[in-house]
Amino acid sequence: MIVCVLLPRLELVVACGDRQALLADPVALAPEPGKVQNVGEVSARAEVLGVRAGMRLGEALARCPQLVLVPPDPAGVAEQWEGVIARLESVGAAVQSERPGQACFDATGLRRLHGGSLEGILAAVRAALRRPARLGVAPTRFCALAAAQRARPRRAEVVGGPFADALARGWRPGAGHAPRATARATAVAAAYLAPLPVVLLSARPATAALVEPLERLGVRTLGELAALPRGKVADRFGPPGLIAHALARGQDEPLRPRAPGERLREALELPESASGLQLEQALGMLVDRLLARRERRGRTLRAVVLAARLVEGGTWRERVVFRQALADPDRMRLAIAPKLALLPAPADAVSLAVERFGPPASDQRPLVDEPAALRDARLREAVRQVRAVAGPEAALRVLTVDPDSRVPERRAILSPFEPGEPG
Amino acid sequence: MSGPRRLNVPRPIEVRPDGDGRPLAVDGRAVQAVRESWLVEDRWWTDRPLRRRYWEVVTEGGRNVVVFHDLASGDWSGQRG
Repeated sequence: MIVCVLLPRLELVVACGDRQALLADPVALAPEPGKVQNVGEVSARAEVLGVRAGMRLGEALARCPQLVLVPPDPAGVAEQWEGVIARLESVGAAVQSERPGQACFDATGLRRLHGGSLEGILAAVRAALRRPARLGVAPTRFCALAAAQRARPRRAEVVGGPFADALARGWRPGAGHAPRATARATAVAAAYLAPLPVVLLSARPATAALVEPLERLGVRTLGELAALPRGKVADRFGPPGLIAHALARGQDEPLRPRAPGERLREALELPESASGLQLEQALGMLVDRLLARRERRGRTLRAVVLAARLVEGGTWRERVVFRQALADPDRMRLAIAPKLALLPAPADAVSLAVERFGPPASDQRPLVDEPAALRDARLREAVRQVRAVAGPEAALRVLTVDPDSRVPERRAILSPFEPGEPG
Repeated sequence: MSGPRRLNVPRPIEVRPDGDGRPLAVDGRAVQAVRESWLVEDRWWTDRPLRRRYWEVVTEGGRNVVVFHDLASGDWSGQRG
């Protein structure tokens, strides 16, 4: 069973900081400097007045002239959310998080750690979080998220009742019963989702764009969507439609938890608001400090996150992926320094954190370079870089399946690219 | 990645046909010439047979477009040949 932990409007709550009373008014996150001019998360009062997250700033202000805009705090959100995930991992959960404020983990393996029941696991999660959160328990991630959105702050929403508890108790069907148990879990999820509105699909980036056309076509609930023939949904909406259709029918991709990582971060308070050369010097100091940390244990750095607290309020955050895993402070400074030019305002604090480590620095080169091996190594490195920047689907290759087929979509497919493969 | 993904998947397209099913406009652009038309019938032995009438047309502006009419569902789709 999947447990979904939901902290509603986390980005807005973090951005409001000490001014939590603001949340009772129509408030929205202001667009980030230099990015698309859409508002971010909005308060419940703003929602009542017709403002939605992702709406153009002009339209939001036209609908609600009294709307208060709060500067976003991406660095603060990342820090708080990292703390929440670390606390969930501290109770033994292997966590997957698609966006700040929303995390999922499989409860099945945690039973013996927390008293042998689902209630024990949920109580441990609440104790670890030390803040109000909505918890949903269901057979799939999407269904658990739907349950968490309907849960009360102090009472988890459990989909499937005794069946859920049996799965969480570690009940495993025998070899011959596994497909039947999976089908049962899918049916339980589909039945729960059926009366819920299609707007839930906006929680997934792949299906968010379908909500509006579905509603326009009169498909109001996930049950109505699930009842449509799969082929017709595919014809009308393509691959996103198929994903939405599978979600509505209680199917979902398996959980892909992150590997619990180490946190390595250096921060520097600047006595006066700094920009330009002062910031570059501060960056040099942060790089030196980060590389000097014992926890690095000789490893190179593959990706870092540069963050700053802005003088005029709000924060700024930029991810830097190195072309080659580095441990050389000069090359690292050269790679990060251009990002400082993107700062929208002077900063009074900067920080540098490791997002991903590379291999150890003792990278011994071979005596004789073979051109083919060299090319292959470069290709592997390029693929790793592209995937580090743009995710696992960034490097794909075209695989010819049936080149003479009269149906064009059967001729070739895209599959993950592995260097060294032919073609 | 969840698994292999198909290439050249048909995408819905707006086509205005005449009475014989011949495209007159594709995505609001008038069709200037029909280069070729062919029929694909496949998987007729299964529950989900495939019946498509393909049209390769030239729209105003000189663009080459391949569209097909799904003879089972009646929908029009565009596809790279």
